[in-house]
Amino acid sequence: MAIRGPRRVREALLALLFLGPSAVVLGLFVIYPLGRTVLLGAKRCNAQGENCRTNGLRQYTDVAQSREFRHALWVTIKFALLTVPAGIALGLGLAVLADRHLRGIGFFRAVFSSTVATSVAVASLMWLFLLQPARGILANTGWIQDLMPVVKNPGLLNDSGTALLSVALSSVWANLGFTFIVVTAGLQSIPRELHESAYVDGASPWRRFTNVTVPMLSPTLLFVGIVLTSRAFQAYGEIDLLTEGGPVPQDSTTTLTYLIYGETSIVRNDAGLQSSVAVLLFFVMLVLAAVQLRGLKSRIHYGQ
Amino acid sequence: MRRSGRVAAALAVAVALAACGEGDTIQNAGDRPEPTTAPTPAPTVPGTMPATVPGSAPGSVPGSEPVGSAPSGSDPATTPAPTVPPVTVAPSTTQPTLLDTLPPCPVDALDDVDGTVEITFWHGMAANLEQELAVLTDRYNASQSKVRVELQNQGGYEQVIDKYLQSGQSSRPELAQAPEYAVQEFRDTEAFVPVEACFEGAGFDRQALLPAARNAYSTEGVQWSMPFNLSNPVLFYNRATFAAAGLDPDTPPRSLEELEQASRQIVESGAASYGLVVDTNFDSGGGWYIEQWFAKAGEFYSDNENGRSAPATRVMFDGPTGVDLLTYLQNLVANAGGFNVGDNASGQDAFLKIADQNAPGAMTIGTSAALGTVLAAVDAGIAPGIVREDIGIGPMPGPNGSGIVVVGGASIWISADKGDAETAAAWDYVQFLASAEVQSEWASVTGYVPIRQDAAEVEPLATTYAEDPRFKVAYDSLIETPDEPTAVGPLLGPQRAIRVLTSRALATVLGGGDPATALAEAAAQANTLLAQYNSTR
Amino acid sequence: MASDAAALPVIGGGPAMRSGAVGIDSVRPGWRKVGRYVVLAFVAFLVLFPIYTTLLASLKPGGKVIDRPLVPTDLTLQVFKDAWTEGRLGRYLLNSTVVAVVVTAAQLTTSVLSAYAFALLRFPLKGFFFVLFLATLLVPLEATLVVNRRTIDTWGWLNSYQGLALPFLATAFGTFLLRQVFLQIPKELREAAQMDGLGHLGFLREVALPLVRPTLGALALFSFLSAWNQYLWPNLITTDEDMHTVQTGLRLLNSNVPDIERYNVPIAGTVIAALPIALVLIIFQRQLVRGLTAGAVKG
Repeated sequence: MAIRGPRRVREALLALLFLGPSAVVLGLFVIYPLGRTVLLGAKRCNAQGENCRTNGLRQYTDVAQSREFRHALWVTIKFALLTVPAGIALGLGLAVLADRHLRGIGFFRAVFSSTVATSVAVASLMWLFLLQPARGILANTGWIQDLMPVVKNPGLLNDSGTALLSVALSSVWANLGFTFIVVTAGLQSIPRELHESAYVDGASPWRRFTNVTVPMLSPTLLFVGIVLTSRAFQAYGEIDLLTEGGPVPQDSTTTLTYLIYGETSIVRNDAGLQSSVAVLLFFVMLVLAAVQLRGLKSRIHYGQ
Repeated sequence: MRRSGRVAAALAVAVALAACGEGDTIQNAGDRPEPTTAPTPAPTVPGTMPATVPGSAPGSVPGSEPVGSAPSGSDPATTPAPTVPPVTVAPSTTQPTLLDTLPPCPVDALDDVDGTVEITFWHGMAANLEQELAVLTDRYNASQSKVRVELQNQGGYEQVIDKYLQSGQSSRPELAQAPEYAVQEFRDTEAFVPVEACFEGAGFDRQALLPAARNAYSTEGVQWSMPFNLSNPVLFYNRATFAAAGLDPDTPPRSLEELEQASRQIVESGAASYGLVVDTNFDSGGGWYIEQWFAKAGEFYSDNENGRSAPATRVMFDGPTGVDLLTYLQNLVANAGGFNVGDNASGQDAFLKIADQNAPGAMTIGTSAALGTVLAAVDAGIAPGIVREDIGIGPMPGPNGSGIVVVGGASIWISADKGDAETAAAWDYVQFLASAEVQSEWASVTGYVPIRQDAAEVEPLATTYAEDPRFKVAYDSLIETPDEPTAVGPLLGPQRAIRVLTSRALATVLGGGDPATALAEAAAQANTLLAQYNSTR
Repeated sequence: MASDAAALPVIGGGPAMRSGAVGIDSVRPGWRKVGRYVVLAFVAFLVLFPIYTTLLASLKPGGKVIDRPLVPTDLTLQVFKDAWTEGRLGRYLLNSTVVAVVVTAAQLTTSVLSAYAFALLRFPLKGFFFVLFLATLLVPLEATLVVNRRTIDTWGWLNSYQGLALPFLATAFGTFLLRQVFLQIPKELREAAQMDGLGHLGFLREVALPLVRPTLGALALFSFLSAWNQYLWPNLITTDEDMHTVQTGLRLLNSNVPDIERYNVPIAGTVIAALPIALVLIIFQRQLVRGLTAGAVKG
């Protein structure tokens, strides 16, 4: 039954009132800055953002094709590939491991969730402490070199082969608590009847896992995947504290965000170039989101 | 599985696209190739000068004479004797000097003020340095009631620079501490009152400052900021190891040949696992020290007299001097017992290598400002087997054994557009910090080098130097440094970024790369950076 | 949380249930149980290792930490005291708390309102606004920071609580999360309320809000955590030492690393910084899980 007239208007006005606060904040602090940054990204300026000359769209294509940008993009993709699958797998594995009625399981659950209490700064400093060259316990002691002779003396954070891995390790550890909590919640919302009917049908625990648990978890896993990916693509604090862009000259840990804001970044002195990279980062994340949502949409079960 | 296969394929394509191909550098993005000619230098100063023009010293005020005597006899540098005849660098007398066009400094404005003027000082001093600065500032605040200074620690020099540049004028502090590599950048903001503008009205004698100190913070004939905390690199070495290797602990190596020889001897004698410990950090081995070595060799690092007569337009470190230098370092690490600790982000890795229990090094070049920290650490037992007396300090070794050093550290800048009373207040505080007594105490407590000679003659510094001559080594190097264009060190707009480039080159070279190629690449990128910087000044 | 997930799909169809039925779930006594405990313990050890070393490093004087980093001897509280005073952590904890509380309260309010509008109100251009909200989730923080700083600077709100909180007072993530849950409210409830004479506001207050309370709890926790962990933004707008949050205060403490032998002071600082959050999470763990299972409507 269509509602017309004053009722409609009243509802629209109410919607304006309700949407207003969010819209104002988001418009002022997200949409507007994005617009200005897009404009600034087409110019070359000095560090203060003054004395600009406008170059237009070709600046974006130039930046996208430049070797520093490509390298940073590649490093960021590598970082995501290192942290996201591992993060999901570990979260899932631990959640399944702890999803039992055992004496003291609460303690283990608390332990596995604990890293959610650490912020980026806290977790990175903890790992810096472990990995610092010359002083860290895990840095470059003899036994690590015996295991992996490729690690030369500078240590894990200073060796271009292992620097990104080390940062990824600290990131995976830090995200473990979050992943664990979310997946556990997902596990607990799978109706018992499904498991029980599979059990009654004679399915082995592994079959139950793949045919019941994983499909029912797919929205949760998608959510976790999206969050982890977006965190991976915006990783900054870890790199700022652990490697400052990675051993030169390979720049093994210079991700896109570090290219924008890092202390040793080559575009520090140009506000225009920083904006270009930031906007391209936005673009990359748009593409990623589209890929994730569309490519995996078909595999999600919604409700019963 | 089909969809995820498609996703994987898309990702692979994206990755492949990202990874391969030889793109241009991001520094050229948006611009189309026309010869990027740097704008002609400021009109009050003559155009680009050829290298080492004897007899002209653009950094010094006309009519000045260099403080201190000629450098010690062990300096057969190519430059002539330092007693420079007073030369007016300013061109025809009909044009106003640069100083006239800059914001003035109303030093008497405080007399008209009734209450207390509150000003803020953004600094980047850490730990015990911050503590001492706080002590001095409290004393200043307590000693008079016209000015009250509030200290704001920004967490490091880079933070000070970044935040200053990003802030609007009203959010900027009255005083900011900026390092020696930010001089051109700060000068170009046109947001400061040059301290020289305050000298005349306040009767401040700039001759009291060490020439190396005041020249470091001068360009285009004007002194822009007041040096405050000075340091320069010195050689740290383990005297016990020296003795065990058959070297004289009281005569540390001065020239590059002696350094190599010492390093070799230490390793061959088995006194330590490594001789010289080097790093590639841009604030030390890969950047700052290279500038030092150019000064020692009497060579310019960039054009326009190291960027002091006019803003630099190109670097010159890819010439024979630079290649020889990097080849020397490469050889030292590969064959003569040197050890590369890499990035040294913490600034402590080189020292820790000397303290290493398993494979220690014997010597390293470090900033003089670290001496206090190192001694304290040794006292605390960080380095078992090493005691306080084992730490030896010598002048930084370099080409020809030259004693020239380029000043490092930071200086204090006074903001413009802040109101007369605030500017006068800021100058009053700066004058306090630049006084002999305060500099004496500051240097004595922190290990920084005082900015003026009379500071070393008053207490407590006089006693400190007498009791522990190690603290005096950096000061002596500074005294010995003559008033010459090449000895002042380069001034570049994007100086830190360029130091990052040379540090990359060094890292490549120490990893086995060819010095000439690495330096040529670094120079090309540096020149692009400079061109870009100059185009948006 | 500007860039976290888009619409959160409904997780599970029925009411939230906790695992715990007997039969297929209880572990057979014997080897499998022991095996499971072993694996659990091993993994717990790996997860706790950094925390353990951090705690230990905060309890020993610096020199001893280098000496024997893994053995709990030579314990002292001095390092914590140093971190507290030198790091000014008391003040910074206060700042972080104020900002986090303000942001959480604001995000809850704005999200509830806008979620309700999207779920239950009809108005023109609804689709357009929806897409706009969605887009804000994808904009990375980095693309907005510098301009936001300039805005806040122009208003003179650098170094202020407003400045720290303002850009985060609304979130599309919260909007979508709550919208999902509002959409689940059966139409009959709405119609019954209409017949009782309840307008939208009344319905929101009397019926809708109580139903979504678990989700509100989860959102509140996420908002609080997210605001507490902000790093880039406070770093950018704080120049006054009094106004740092705990995260940037830690950075300050770390970059002012004291003398070499007291290098573990920043580490002790991280422990202090993590403690409040750890407590909050332990206390509210149940609510968090319950809220995430989004089984808002029973029966």
